[in-house]
Amino acid sequence: MHITMVKKRLADGSECRKCQDATTALQSRGLWSRIDEIVWANEGDPNSLGMQLSAHFRVDQAPFFIVRDGTREDVYVSVLQLARERFAEKVSAQQQAAAIDVDDIGV
Amino acid sequence: MALDLSTLSETAAALATRDPQEIVALALEEYSPDLGLSFSGAEDVVLIDMAVARGKPFRVFSLDTGRLHAETYQFIEKVRTHYGITIETFSPQAEAVQALVRDKGLFSFYKDGHKECCGIRKVEPLMRALRPLRAWMTGQRRDQSPGTRADVPVIQLDRAFGTPERPLVKFNPLSHWTSKQVWTYIRERNVPYNELHNRGFISIGCEPCTRPTNPGEHERAGRWWWEEETKRECGLHVGAPR
Repeated sequence: MHITMVKKRLADGSECRKCQDATTALQSRGLWSRIDEIVWANEGDPNSLGMQLSAHFRVDQAPFFIVRDGTREDVYVSVLQLARERFAEKVSAQQQAAAIDVDDIGV
Repeated sequence: MALDLSTLSETAAALATRDPQEIVALALEEYSPDLGLSFSGAEDVVLIDMAVARGKPFRVFSLDTGRLHAETYQFIEKVRTHYGITIETFSPQAEAVQALVRDKGLFSFYKDGHKECCGIRKVEPLMRALRPLRAWMTGQRRDQSPGTRADVPVIQLDRAFGTPERPLVKFNPLSHWTSKQVWTYIRERNVPYNELHNRGFISIGCEPCTRPTNPGEHERAGRWWWEEETKRECGLHVGAPR
């Protein structure tokens, strides 16, 4: 299994807030070492690899994760969903709900 | 013809400018009765009107956060009786709300941001509402916010609530309609609407977190207006790669 994390780098060189939060969440669960590759989507640069991957997978928010397992390729937009489904981590419904911004989902 | 989930993006592109009624019909054809319509008590009532007209079974659910305007509760009831439909209301877990209010008070969102409260009052109930469904429908439109909704497709794989093992399809039939088109539909067909719209509210959510917008403001500007627009910070909207 190979996991790519796509992060967004802002114009000032810092990474976006949700990317920082996701990194912290992975570190606190001891999963940070399971991320094989970090790819950057650079603000204002549609040619950056991360931006190209976001266009390819039609994902419009950073961070997201591409999990390649054999011939299978899955995309996760939630770090907790990734933790639960790929690493059998215990994630409560409330933890998962708290990680989703209602403004991103249309309710 | 079953929708091929592996080519959903291409299908969405091909259907991008189709009438919302066609998208609603497609959703029902493919997923009835396992299709849920998320009804916020606002303009998304037009989706109920369109879906009822098709005569196929579907589910309608509302997220009763406990903090909606009285007018919104009255409107939900009006829609229920007008169309003769069942509206399932999903409420937050009492223990979670009580803990939040006990620890942080009734208006913590003004200080801490809306995400924690919305997670408890909206997102967790939504997860329960979506659990038995294979597809759902929202009233999202691209013109609601140039920052966060500019790329809303008519159909998408819902990666926030679906999983690779249990995919969930999300339909946004109104994505390319403007507010004006929605209101033309409402007026021409005498569709009931929320009384708050007569008082300048465009986007309607919870009472403490919604206000009327000023002329020239996009409609989502009336939601969580006290927060910095940090949510745009993580958006990946720069257009297709060259």
